[in-house]
Amino acid sequence: MEEYAREPCPWRIVDDCGGAFTMGAIGGGIFQSVKGFRNSPAGINHRLRGSMTAIKTRAPQLGGSFAVWGGLFSTIDCSLVQLRGKEDPWNSITSGAMTGAILAARNGPVAMLGSAAMGGILLALIEGAGILLTRFASSQFPTGPQFAEEPAPPMPAPSFGDYRQYQ
Amino acid sequence: MPVAVGPYGQAQPGCFDRVKMGFMMGFAVGMAAGAMFGTFSCLRIGMRGRELMGGVGKTMMQSGGTFGTFMSIGMGIRC
Repeated sequence: MEEYAREPCPWRIVDDCGGAFTMGAIGGGIFQSVKGFRNSPAGINHRLRGSMTAIKTRAPQLGGSFAVWGGLFSTIDCSLVQLRGKEDPWNSITSGAMTGAILAARNGPVAMLGSAAMGGILLALIEGAGILLTRFASSQFPTGPQFAEEPAPPMPAPSFGDYRQYQ
Repeated sequence: MPVAVGPYGQAQPGCFDRVKMGFMMGFAVGMAAGAMFGTFSCLRIGMRGRELMGGVGKTMMQSGGTFGTFMSIGMGIRC
């Protein structure tokens, strides 16, 4: 993860959006194939066809909602970087919470609050895990790079809240 | 697979290592998230005592698995 070079800021949005779409489509393909297989009537042909149908209908949808999350997330992240003039985990946490709030905006203030809390907590967990991981890695290799301040790649983060939210 | 050497003279982790690390990290994060959100939702639907423990554990494993899978895919598509 240390060599994970994030794109410079404006291009990061495109990168995250596409990466999130790919991730959602692949992950959605895996999960929906199992789900479609199990929900079909008996008989291997029915099951395979049901699995295929589930993948074709649901995986692009999931990829799309991942892409929306990722794109909005890194847009806000980049805006915060510009506004505050520094890059730290708080940027990611704030932008996760704001993304959750914005995407739930049509469901009313209570849903916005819940979704924002969920996004913020998830991003905080991911950032914390990234910091712990880099600290552990750098304590393992004392001559290694001291990257404790480097925020983890926040890209995979958006996925989960979204996955639950739009199910 | 050639072993790439990083700028600090230490071997970079290979592709599969990164996928594995992504899975582990995603699993840990998912477990933590599942512990929080699972506790809330299980309390809300009225589970108490042993039942609550089981419900929270199930949610933790589920969300850990989901999160870990997605995180490892996320690592896999960029190496």
